[in-house]
Amino acid sequence: MSTAIDMSLFGGADPIFTIADEVFSAMIDGEPGLLSEWFGEAPAIADPMYAWVDVDGVAPGRVLLSTERETALQITRALLEMGPDEVVGDADFVDALGEVANVVGGNVKALVPDPGALTLPQVTHERPPTSPENLLHELALAWRGRLLVISLWSLP
Amino acid sequence: MRVLVADDSRVMRQIVIRTLRQAGYDWEITEAANGAAALDIAQAEDPDLVLSDWNMPEMNGIELLRAMRQHGIDIPLGFVTSEGSAEMREQADAAGALFLIAKPFTAEIFRDTIDPFLA
Repeated sequence: MSTAIDMSLFGGADPIFTIADEVFSAMIDGEPGLLSEWFGEAPAIADPMYAWVDVDGVAPGRVLLSTERETALQITRALLEMGPDEVVGDADFVDALGEVANVVGGNVKALVPDPGALTLPQVTHERPPTSPENLLHELALAWRGRLLVISLWSLP
Repeated sequence: MRVLVADDSRVMRQIVIRTLRQAGYDWEITEAANGAAALDIAQAEDPDLVLSDWNMPEMNGIELLRAMRQHGIDIPLGFVTSEGSAEMREQADAAGALFLIAKPFTAEIFRDTIDPFLA
């Protein structure tokens, strides 16, 4: 992603929130209103899961989702319309979280000039390497009261 | 009507199928996890429509469409993809895609996009 997203183009609304809101409303919740910006300082994630896609090209970038494992499980259940007691398989868990990153990332890619190809999503328990100076934008969200962080990074 | 849904994400294939049902399309669905598998199924089963993701391993969606046409397979193909920029829509259109539905989508979006082609 060649530059940070110019927020002034979006009339004061955070375009990342708009994208996330559309993804969660359409794909995960089936209705709007269950996603909001996190109020106050976001707590540290104790048992994290990370999902990301990279945008290749002249100035590569990363769209990174960070959340608690339990939140990721709930997202998977919601995506697959599973009951609260149904067991979530490992493959579906990785697939679901990766697909959320893929859809968010694909929509973020459409906001930036001169993007390259979108990579396939990756999902891990370990945070992918990032440097603070490469952070372009960070948005902490509350989904059904649970923390989900979307961050955009330039890559070396 | 028989439809082939191609996406490397099983979760997304389920969401596409679910949304087709919600849109009122009671179609017979076959699934493929990548473009290469989708090409094989298209050749073997001759579905009426292919709904394909863009970014897939083995063979991506645009490669699938081009391969189909090169093999003389004229089954209509619509993209269902996270990449809905103007540039991607132009690429899809230039390659002969019927439409491009951007993720996230709703049943209403499916109906509004697909119904005109069924009429």
